[in-house]
Amino acid sequence: MIEAALLAPLNFVDSLLLKFFSEQTVNYVIWPFIQVSAVVTITAGWVAYATYLERKISAFMQARLGPMRVGPWGLLQPIADGLKLLVKEDFIPESADRWVFFLAPYIAVVAAFIVMAVVPFGPDWAVITDVNIGILFVLAVSSVGVLALILAGWASNSKYALLGALRSSAQMVSYEVSMGLAIIGALMFARTLSLSGIVAAQQTDSIFFLLYQPVGFVIFLISGIAENNRAPFDLPEAESELVAGFHTEYSGFRWSLFFMAEYAAMVVVTAVATTLYLGGWYFPFVYRLTEAKGFHNAYVVVSLIVFLAKAGLLLYLYFWLRWTLPRFRYDQLMDLGWKWLLPAALVNIVVSAIAIVTLQGLDGWHGMHTIQSITNGVDLTATGKGIAIAIGIGNLFLTAGILSLINWRSRDFNLKKQRSKIRFAVLAKGKPAVAPVVSE
Amino acid sequence: MPLVAVSKPTFAQKLKRFFMADLLKGLGLTLRFNLGALTSKDSVAGKGIYTEQYPSVRPDVAPRFHGAPRLNMDPETHDTLCIACNLCALACPEDCIDVIPMDVEVVVAGKPRRKKVLDEFIFDTSRCMFCALCQEACPTYCLELTQDFELATYSRAGFVWNREMLEQGRETVKYES
Repeated sequence: MIEAALLAPLNFVDSLLLKFFSEQTVNYVIWPFIQVSAVVTITAGWVAYATYLERKISAFMQARLGPMRVGPWGLLQPIADGLKLLVKEDFIPESADRWVFFLAPYIAVVAAFIVMAVVPFGPDWAVITDVNIGILFVLAVSSVGVLALILAGWASNSKYALLGALRSSAQMVSYEVSMGLAIIGALMFARTLSLSGIVAAQQTDSIFFLLYQPVGFVIFLISGIAENNRAPFDLPEAESELVAGFHTEYSGFRWSLFFMAEYAAMVVVTAVATTLYLGGWYFPFVYRLTEAKGFHNAYVVVSLIVFLAKAGLLLYLYFWLRWTLPRFRYDQLMDLGWKWLLPAALVNIVVSAIAIVTLQGLDGWHGMHTIQSITNGVDLTATGKGIAIAIGIGNLFLTAGILSLINWRSRDFNLKKQRSKIRFAVLAKGKPAVAPVVSE
Repeated sequence: MPLVAVSKPTFAQKLKRFFMADLLKGLGLTLRFNLGALTSKDSVAGKGIYTEQYPSVRPDVAPRFHGAPRLNMDPETHDTLCIACNLCALACPEDCIDVIPMDVEVVVAGKPRRKKVLDEFIFDTSRCMFCALCQEACPTYCLELTQDFELATYSRAGFVWNREMLEQGRETVKYES
């Protein structure tokens, strides 16, 4: 009853559109356009309110109140900020490369927003488009964001902006590697690249891939935070060193585009992490309580809320980490990326492969039954799930052990070693302060 | 030869490091503050919110605080308590008080006498350092430095308070909520 009442206006719009356009146009152009504009509007609003949330949460963590003056509890603060940014002067430095300076913010925003097209917010009509290489699309498009930062830093013709852009490109390129490798473990269990397919695989298994892939989840989250240039990896815009990094010379609305791009990229990373590791819109019992009883649209809406709740939790983690941890030093950042996360991701791939091979080998061995089917993801039985979870949790310790083995000489980022290399005793004996010539 | 003697970590320290105990401790601290702010909004006991909502909520100033000056009046007759003795002006190290008396004819015990009464009182708050020596000197508890602290004005002339301002107090904007 309620469902029919809610659908009536939509059906009316549909019939109205069919009078003016052909059926193909309505189904493949106009309705997707409506979906897209809805998602863009909602994302933009969410980005605006993410800034509000960030300010509030940071305030609470520091025993402050945060914005309180505009509207009740400062709820209208994002609108006031947006208005301020709209009417501010759009300043362009005299020696800037004007065209590139104009273009860079748009590239940043488009690269961040376009990923939303393939994110499955829910089943059925809550997906804009289901690309069968969805995860590759996400990785490819979101790394275009680096281009915007480099262009902005270069076009500003300012030393701080250029240094910020250099740092961010180095950082994003090095963390892209471990991010891409971390995903592979989850993809092995899902056996598909489509994001909807990954959620479906977790639904048929009725499990979150977080349990199979704890190492992958941790690596993905850390490199995601580093990808977004967020604290504690916010070296590209380190206030104390680089003023504001790549957007030092930007002001007004162009600056706010960069700001939007940053928050939208955060939303994208949380959405992809949710889809890959936290089951996307899947939650136990939701299907049985709604779809199985015939409430199709209620099912979609509840799944949508589940997805947003999971992504919101991860977003809170972003804020939480930002206001807890201090910023990394540059060498520490690179060490973490190349010496810790990359080997960990490689270990994770090998262990995931071993897990799947083990599960396939154990199936039918001494009457054991581990795999039901591998048509839609690796559909495991209860025994199989137990083994996979055990391997996943064991992998945490295995990875930690291997990382300690690799880095046991550079545990303190070589500070200890550097200290022991400075020899004051030699200078004190009156020898010249030059490096000794090594003779064969 | 190392410059700083770094002691080798014990096994317990190594374990703490392996399980990232310090990281979790820090995260726990910020989370505790966040939850404390959400649950006990105004408490200052460790994990609440310290911020004062100044214009809408007046802060509690210290009891010893000296602020805007005031000339007290007799609560029943509304005559000033000031006897124009000039002691406050003499006590003031900054010389910012001017007591201007005037003579009036009064009849005491059937005989005409002249008496000094207060005509005008000038208090320059821009030069005042709020030492309250004038308050100490006043024999009738007339001149008093109150706890009001909003003394800013738009001009230098605004800092000079006359007798009316000292008796009535200056009007300040009161914000609701």
